[in-house]
Amino acid sequence: MDRHKLLGILIILMFVGLGLGLFNLNVIQGRKYKKLSNSNCIRLIPQFGCRGNILDRQGELIVGNKISYDVLILPQDLSSLGRVLGIVAQVLGVNQEKLWKAFKSGYLCSSMPVTIASNIDVKEAILLGEYKVNEPSIIIQSKPLRDYPYSTLASHLIGYLNEIDRWRLTKLEDYGYKTKDIVGFGGVEEKYDYYLRQEEGGLSVEVNHQGNFTRVLGFELPKNGKDIQLTIDLAVQKSAESYLNGKKGCVIIMDPNNGEIIALASFPNFDPGVFIRRSTNRIAELFNSQQAPMINRAISAAYPPASVFKVIVAAAGLELKKINTWDTIVCPGYLYVGKRKFSCWETHGRQGLKEALAHSCDTFFYHAGLATGAQNIYNYALKFGMAKPSNFELAYEVGGFIPSPIWRKLNRFQNWYDGDTANLSIGQGDCLVTPMQLVNMMAVFANGGYLCTPYVVKSIGGFDVSAHKRRLINLRLKKNTLNQIRQGLREVVSDPQGTGSVLASLSVPVAGKTGTAQVTRGQTHAWFVGFFPFEKPQYVICVFLENGGPGHAASVIAKQVIESMIAQEAK
Amino acid sequence: MRNSFLFILIVALLIAIIGVFSIYSSTSQKIGQPWEDIYKRQLLWIAVGLIAYFLFAGFNYRRLWDATYFFYTVCVGFLALVSLLGIVRLGAQRWIKLGGFNFQPSEFAKLAVILFLARYFSRKSVEDISLLSGKFGVFRGLVLPFIFVALPMLLIIEQPDLGSGLIILLVFVFLLYLTQVRLKYIFTLVTLLIIPLPFAWHFLRDYQKQRLLVFVNPNIDPLGAGYTIIQSKIAIGSGGFFGKGWLSGTQSQLRFLPESHTDFIFATFAEEWGFFGSSVLIFLYYLIIRQGFIIAERTSDAFGKLLAYGITLLLTLQVCINISMNMGLAPVVGLPLPLLSYGGSSILVTFISLGILANIDRTRAVF
Repeated sequence: MDRHKLLGILIILMFVGLGLGLFNLNVIQGRKYKKLSNSNCIRLIPQFGCRGNILDRQGELIVGNKISYDVLILPQDLSSLGRVLGIVAQVLGVNQEKLWKAFKSGYLCSSMPVTIASNIDVKEAILLGEYKVNEPSIIIQSKPLRDYPYSTLASHLIGYLNEIDRWRLTKLEDYGYKTKDIVGFGGVEEKYDYYLRQEEGGLSVEVNHQGNFTRVLGFELPKNGKDIQLTIDLAVQKSAESYLNGKKGCVIIMDPNNGEIIALASFPNFDPGVFIRRSTNRIAELFNSQQAPMINRAISAAYPPASVFKVIVAAAGLELKKINTWDTIVCPGYLYVGKRKFSCWETHGRQGLKEALAHSCDTFFYHAGLATGAQNIYNYALKFGMAKPSNFELAYEVGGFIPSPIWRKLNRFQNWYDGDTANLSIGQGDCLVTPMQLVNMMAVFANGGYLCTPYVVKSIGGFDVSAHKRRLINLRLKKNTLNQIRQGLREVVSDPQGTGSVLASLSVPVAGKTGTAQVTRGQTHAWFVGFFPFEKPQYVICVFLENGGPGHAASVIAKQVIESMIAQEAK
Repeated sequence: MRNSFLFILIVALLIAIIGVFSIYSSTSQKIGQPWEDIYKRQLLWIAVGLIAYFLFAGFNYRRLWDATYFFYTVCVGFLALVSLLGIVRLGAQRWIKLGGFNFQPSEFAKLAVILFLARYFSRKSVEDISLLSGKFGVFRGLVLPFIFVALPMLLIIEQPDLGSGLIILLVFVFLLYLTQVRLKYIFTLVTLLIIPLPFAWHFLRDYQKQRLLVFVNPNIDPLGAGYTIIQSKIAIGSGGFFGKGWLSGTQSQLRFLPESHTDFIFATFAEEWGFFGSSVLIFLYYLIIRQGFIIAERTSDAFGKLLAYGITLLLTLQVCINISMNMGLAPVVGLPLPLLSYGGSSILVTFISLGILANIDRTRAVF
């Protein structure tokens, strides 16, 4: 071929190559390079907003914010750095080496201030502010920090704040969360983090190739998070915690008419402030403790309900007409089911339904349970909200467990015997419920047959959300059933021989049921679940003590809490 | 295009004016008297270049035949002078001071070598007025011209200016191909040039080795040798389709891009005018180059033909290598983008070459 023509083709190919190269950079990879270009020259200097406050039902502050002071150094002039760090070290009374280390690890470029000490004292901040006249590279930045005025109060309800973890980040990236963000863990802080979290504002500035400031591109005011108002009553919460203090367990007080949680205390609890102070040792202690202080015992742990479960057996028996209110049995202190002897905790003699509830007679409920049948008991337990989470707002709620013949057959390959029914009738065996579920169950008898969904957040940012939360399900129980069981529950307290008679001396009539759960190891669990005032119930109360002894122990605490509530109401 | 004179003038002027705008943009953020004046100096050089263009377009190129050896000798002389008492700038000794201006003899040497080669290969036999080049043996067809090319080339590479030196070599190979020298000689030459390349590695300076290494992978030294290429690619790529707008390119305005008004002016331009502007620019270059080849094709005079080819090839290679290097497709060598980059010698030589090209087209009718 002609040499000239070949050359011509070669030239055209070269230009086509240039065009393709250009197209590749500009159009195909344009976005990537645009990003790189922006990261070259745009820096953000953050300004912090406040995380939303958490208030009680009267609007009193439970968790708020305080101002903390950080010391930052603007490293534009490196020659004076040694002198500046010397001053800071002297004022804060810390080792200069430590500040150097913090500076080196935090240094990005000459236009970005480096945090060398955070959370310093107000006095020190003012003193350093004085030095700023001579050393302009010292910057004192105030930034809001979570403040817990009552330290451990309602810690399980509130949760704590910490740096976002990997798992949460992968889920929340699309909602604008970034690495190193501080987010809520557990409780309301986690559940409503999206509303509570502040929006960082700040200055976006353009810098040149040496990292020196050239101009301001924009400024955005930081936005504060939304305040969240809880249904919690601070005074009740305080007294519940003070009476529970030192004993493992929990106290729940709920309004049965709508499901508002008035108080929820769980012990052992923790101080969310340790996460703010980043005291690593204390945090490790919390997580490694045998006492499991991070567990919210009201919703995240399930226990055998023991005698409290008898209420459900009674309801199932009455509804299905397997038992009635006029028949009585004689409790000799035991019952033979097959060849096995099931004993009652006492010899009660002649017992009707109300007496059996009042005295918590096991023998009566063995009979009642066997008459009703295991599957029916199971069905009614589910109807009353057992074996599934109560749909309470906060995360980490467990469902508990109620055994049934079918489950036994499918999972254990074993038959269900009458003995198992007897065990189930008194809430023992494989039965596990959360205190919150029992509160919910008791609320049905308090409010006249409605299963409610407990909730704790009343309003978000001034917007009342309780209407969305209030969900009452009519269980369609017979009036007679409700009345009979309510009477029985009242007699638990009013009958001098009743298991909860300790509460009889209170000025308001209380009804309820005690429970003493046998456990394989250690002392029994103590339950008291009840409601008051009897005629027009306003509160359901549950006191649960893990390895706390007999039900009487729980009743005593319930009495103290109710007493203090009456005193507050009188005020 | 029939009227090459006007066509080349208009397109060249367009590119040069685009260049002035880009130089203005890339230096507008830099503080200090020399920076503020730089686009004015470029304007002055363009004016000088235009005068040169008119002069050479009107000056019969056949006269250059006679001046070839004189011109060649002067250029080699200046190159020798540069290595003796040149001004060191940017780590290289490429400039000498001449009447208040820094002048870069290597730019002129490129033209001188082309002139020499055009004359050498267009000599005719006395007996039958056929071209001698077809009858050249190895010595006369390859070795002798190579010695004449190698002398200025080595002086330029010594400066060090690897880019300009290699451009001369490439133009030589392409011109050999376009004469009637036998293909096997050309292949021999190319082979002989390629074989010692691995050994040439040891003769490269450290920075040149690094440039080659970062061409393969810019990320081995992102803040050192690879910095320019990374920033240049970011500048071009971030322009997107329509660019960031004049005076708004962050890469050049905030000085992330080094040499943004000379070797990397294409990146500056592409950042501010995007894919659209850059395509137009490349197309303008293509128009001039195509016109150059058309002129070379239709010239019957052997000297004029080779001269036109040589000039056009020089332009093509500089444009292609510079733009590829801006886009990270070629290693970084010190090569200006003709007509666009800041630099008096480059502008002047380019306009002179284009003037000669216009004259070749004007005079061809005479023969």
